[in-house]
Amino acid sequence: MSLLRPFSKLPGLNTANILVSLFSLIKLTDFTLETPRLAKSLPLPVENEETRPRIDLVVFIIHLSSELSLQSAEASLKYLDPGYFLGKVCFMVTNARSASVPTERLDAARKLAASLQCPLLFAEDQTPNGVSSATEKLLNILKVAAGHVPMATALYLSNLTRCTLPPDIAQPSFD
Amino acid sequence: MAANFNLPGQSDSDSPSLNDQSLFSRSGNRSLRVAEKERRKNEAEDPFVLALKYFSEVEAGTPVYGNDEVERNLVVVEKAAYSRGLSPEAVSVMLEFAMSLRMGTTLCARVLKCLIPATVVPQEAVVRAVVWLGVGKIPTSTQVLFIKWVLTMFDMIDAKDQLRAIYGFIFSFVTDENLCPFICHLLYLLTRKESVYLLLSPQGRQPFVMHLLSLYKVFCPELVTLSIPSRMRSGFRNHNSPWKSALIGIQKRNGSQVAPSISLALTVKDKGSSRKRKHGHLQLPALSSVVNKEAAEPSSLRKVVPLMQLHSFTQLLENMHQIELPAQMGSLLGSSLALQYLDCVQDESAFLRLNFWLGYALHEEFLFCGDGGTSQTSEEALQFLNRLLSTQHFLQEGFSSSEVFLYKFLSVWDGSLLRPQILGLLSNIPVVPSSRIGQLLFEPLMQLFLTSSIFFKCGLMECLNNVLLKWLNWHSVYALEDDWDISLNSHTSINMTLSGFKDSVMELVHFVGRLASLGLQLEGCHSLLLSFILDFYETVCDTFLKYGLPLIVMPPPGVFYPALLATDPVSVDRLAYIMYRWGFFIPMLQSAVNLSGCTYWQAFHISRQTFREFNQYLLFMVSCLLNSKMMFQPGVGVQLNEELLLKSNVPQYWTRFSLIHHPAFMSYAVDFHQKCWPGKKDMDLNSIKNSKMWGWYLDYLFTQGYDGLKHFVQGNISWKSAPADIQQSDSLSASTVEVHAQLS
Repeated sequence: MSLLRPFSKLPGLNTANILVSLFSLIKLTDFTLETPRLAKSLPLPVENEETRPRIDLVVFIIHLSSELSLQSAEASLKYLDPGYFLGKVCFMVTNARSASVPTERLDAARKLAASLQCPLLFAEDQTPNGVSSATEKLLNILKVAAGHVPMATALYLSNLTRCTLPPDIAQPSFD
Repeated sequence: MAANFNLPGQSDSDSPSLNDQSLFSRSGNRSLRVAEKERRKNEAEDPFVLALKYFSEVEAGTPVYGNDEVERNLVVVEKAAYSRGLSPEAVSVMLEFAMSLRMGTTLCARVLKCLIPATVVPQEAVVRAVVWLGVGKIPTSTQVLFIKWVLTMFDMIDAKDQLRAIYGFIFSFVTDENLCPFICHLLYLLTRKESVYLLLSPQGRQPFVMHLLSLYKVFCPELVTLSIPSRMRSGFRNHNSPWKSALIGIQKRNGSQVAPSISLALTVKDKGSSRKRKHGHLQLPALSSVVNKEAAEPSSLRKVVPLMQLHSFTQLLENMHQIELPAQMGSLLGSSLALQYLDCVQDESAFLRLNFWLGYALHEEFLFCGDGGTSQTSEEALQFLNRLLSTQHFLQEGFSSSEVFLYKFLSVWDGSLLRPQILGLLSNIPVVPSSRIGQLLFEPLMQLFLTSSIFFKCGLMECLNNVLLKWLNWHSVYALEDDWDISLNSHTSINMTLSGFKDSVMELVHFVGRLASLGLQLEGCHSLLLSFILDFYETVCDTFLKYGLPLIVMPPPGVFYPALLATDPVSVDRLAYIMYRWGFFIPMLQSAVNLSGCTYWQAFHISRQTFREFNQYLLFMVSCLLNSKMMFQPGVGVQLNEELLLKSNVPQYWTRFSLIHHPAFMSYAVDFHQKCWPGKKDMDLNSIKNSKMWGWYLDYLFTQGYDGLKHFVQGNISWKSAPADIQQSDSLSASTVEVHAQLS
């Protein structure tokens, strides 16, 4: 089992690398960085180990419309070095507002993110605007995670934005 | 196809019993047959007409199995229904056929499923069908299906007066365990003050029952003794019924074809989902209102005037006491007259119904989308939210249902979808109790703020500024001085004490302080963001003078120092203005508190820490900008080691942030220098420091429009009196901040 490690390689100058792990592809057209590294699931193949640059941020994209997507993300987590969980992992879910998605699945994704103290982002993958805003968000986080923002570290941002288990907001009691 | 349903039995069946109804339905049948005959001459060959004729005339007890004729005709009807919808007559015929169980129970459900009206559903047909429910042969699942059908088509029923007339009859189904949730929903939609019916109070505390009871309580508080939580889970579930998508499809398709005809134009006006269509309802022509007028209820002598018959404000005033609200509360949003009525009358039942409708609509359209949310950016969604926003703007308050919706929506928001509208709605939220504000608002907002672009950050800052302004306005309108409780208007469900309100405001201000510090840190003290943040603090420092709320919260160091050391002069100027306002207001507040000594003021006990903070800021600012000496005191936000500063090799580092050398003002100093000594080649900015030149330099700066700076400097110089030891000052009075505005 090959673990992906955050600090085993030196960072390149003025570059940042993001690993996007997604069960099925969505259009991530707006990545203005160099090509993001896409993987269907972890572990990554051993062959390119040498040439692969240091990965600064791992993003799991979970399509709530498919159960497998969530399972695949869960299964991939164990191939990450614990060091990544100090702020270099985040989850992004799509289709959260769809009527066809059982609420339990969103709750499961929340629980997963909350248990790992990672941020859980939401994306609208159906519209071009939604995709570009999702990309922008990931880039914002990536910049911090790769150390391109002075006075902010990955752990700092991740700690501020991490997911907490939701209250039952369906019934706010004001009594 | 004009539906001709003037039934002979109708006028005297005001209090229908079961017997009346069966008579009534038979006579309805007869007139149907007459209508059929007339049309048969023209359209005898149309298979659809033949099918309808078959269904209206088929004998009871005809076998279903092996009956090709019924199968063929039913397929014709189904095809027509799914392609262009059924005419009102066809709906009547088919509903009558299904509910009368003339051919057994199997066909009943199948027919119900294809009952998709093209335009409207005749009320008489629904009434007859409800009566068939009472006969009791229909299986429960089919009964439920029928009620669901009525609920889905409720807006399309052409009038509701006869349905209301049999309110009691419908009410009797509440005792049926399986039907109860759906019947409660239907009753909720039908209930009026006259019809509150508590002889057989529905049992249990299920959400649907509670919802109905809450409406009853509004109408007749003396009859409902149950305590009902002020905010409830939305009690009636969305029935993801088989009709909805077909209905939407047909409305879309018909939109292009039948738009010119008057009665249809309105249903089609907001084409798209059935939800938006409701906006057109106020403009529905005389149809429903005329029926309402004729059917004067025998039980009530009160004459009611439907809102839709009024066309001017004078008419509204004349009929103020006898207004009948429209069947669809959503239509209120579209009419300024109706909003004026809502605003003056403060009718609690109207607000309750409007909130119910709105919560339902928002939830279904934005949180529980059928198509995964692709339609969300559509014009309709935009229009709908803009309409809602302008309504809230008109009423000067938010709806509780839109508030609950927002809390849910924020937790799944990506921060860009419908951003202006959502932030607009957010600006209108009523005061949130401080115990829940973190969970409901701050957590999702914090994440969105920190992961989004600078544009979003600025937008959210502006929005939070508006929230604060709204709350302060609310306080200044409803708070009575010297009183602990804020008196409330009747329909607001918030009960809040003054200290509770103060806690919420404090929480909000502190939260914005945190966001602002973090945002400035992440964005490298972006001056646009800084400007929005300073907007917020300008609101904060005026809470006492403008809104009478004695609230002192200093900006956190993460905001103060970036603003003071900013490279653009406007930020420094605005910070100076804010500090000037505080300096102006703190002594005033102090004397007010000392003089009055009442509970109202003591609620705003201001800690020594706050004063110390203010004094330190003021001292630092004055010494930096005016006195050319940077004083780092122990325990203040910024700490720099003396040796480190020396190591930097900046000559006279302590003067670097004086108004002459400050990066924001240096260009002015250079300009001033050139104006004073036009020919001088080597520039020595320090020559401005001599006292005469310094005064001129300040005047020069003030003429450039830096009023904040002007107030700040003049305010501080005029305070000059006996020097005091500022560093140990933890005095409660800011007037002891004797600042030496000496010109070094």
